[in-house]
Amino acid sequence: MKAAVLREQNTPMEIEEVQISKPGPREVLVRPIAAGVCHSDLHFLDGSYPYMLPTILGHESAGIVEEVGKDVTYVKKGDHVITCLSAFCGHCNKCLTGHLSLCQSPEVSRPPEVESRLSIGGETVHQFLNLSSFAELMLIHEHALVKVREDMPMDRAALIGCSTTTGVGAVFHTAGVEPGSIVAVIGCGGVGLAAINGAAIAGASMVIAVDMVDSKLELAKAVGATHTINARSGNAVGEVLELTKGGCDYTFEAIGLKATAEQAFQMLCSGGTATIIGMIPVGTMVELHGVDFLMEKKIQGSNMGSNRFRIDMPRFVDFYLNGKLHLDQMISKHIKLADVNTALHALKSGEEARHVIMFDQ
Amino acid sequence: MATERIKSEITGTVWKILMAEGDAIDVAAEIMILESMKMEIPVESPVAGRIQTILVAPGDAVDEDQDLAIIELD
Repeated sequence: MKAAVLREQNTPMEIEEVQISKPGPREVLVRPIAAGVCHSDLHFLDGSYPYMLPTILGHESAGIVEEVGKDVTYVKKGDHVITCLSAFCGHCNKCLTGHLSLCQSPEVSRPPEVESRLSIGGETVHQFLNLSSFAELMLIHEHALVKVREDMPMDRAALIGCSTTTGVGAVFHTAGVEPGSIVAVIGCGGVGLAAINGAAIAGASMVIAVDMVDSKLELAKAVGATHTINARSGNAVGEVLELTKGGCDYTFEAIGLKATAEQAFQMLCSGGTATIIGMIPVGTMVELHGVDFLMEKKIQGSNMGSNRFRIDMPRFVDFYLNGKLHLDQMISKHIKLADVNTALHALKSGEEARHVIMFDQ
Repeated sequence: MATERIKSEITGTVWKILMAEGDAIDVAAEIMILESMKMEIPVESPVAGRIQTILVAPGDAVDEDQDLAIIELD
């Protein structure tokens, strides 16, 4: 199969011929139809998050089951699925207490002594987040996918595989936004827009979108923002405090920067909660004013929207099909696998929402 | 002999040790792979020298800033 292989950080991926192993007992071979190009891929491409190389990036996809391992009963050939990096074992302390997205069990990947799922001429290619979706085939654990209805368009379904689940899940599950709440979202990329859409679905009375790109603020309005602030003014915190007359109940940071994480905390009213969704580079410290804790302000992380994706993703599909979840606006372009480097470059510029790779069928 | 302690940048689990005590090591060479939140994270040496001690084993849970290995500098 062909795949986009990353051999060195900050260099373009090359389309190479990659060997993919046969499904093990609990593995599923998936033929992706669509794969989103996500900002998180960029973090690994530029090295702000280290990763073993060579690897095949991509972690936001939807496709059709091609073949299943002998112990797989959940899906069969031909089923439509969305993949998810939050593969769960189902029996560790995290899974059994309902925190499936925090499962760290290694059993969803192949152990080091077993043939790797991906290779090139005998050389191991490290599977990215147990998925690697910038490829014509994916070999994944059965707990890294969910079946979805067949009337769901695959390109929209792919987005649910990461950005939608991360943003909407942060609002629903990590923060638990109540109807009537005041919400601000910093960063209007795919995840931030999903958080805005999620806050609107949750019934927030005010949803403030903060970004430095006007076109993204327009998109934010289209998916549920009631107010927008262009942070180029240099006083986004002041503007939010003034607009809300004292701060937000919930803020969400969807960029991954120290400064914006600190701003998310500064935008809170007393008792408010800041949720950091963005991937802050490894080694970066975040600083807060200690006295703010007397106001019962809280700050927390969110990983993949604290998802239970086998439950959440089919619901998000229904949300899209009944008009609540606005995924059409999230896709700025459909591309071919060979154009993946251009798509990542466009993400870097910050001007466009999301490119989705469509695979030949 | 001057030494450098190699620390973990992240909380996770040791997935695979790639080098052995006594091995010569170059700058940026990978010593081991950690797994954290589904990510395979390489632990690279910032210095050249020889691996004096590996302080962890596959399957060990490690914390941020925990010592993973000691390198004797060239």
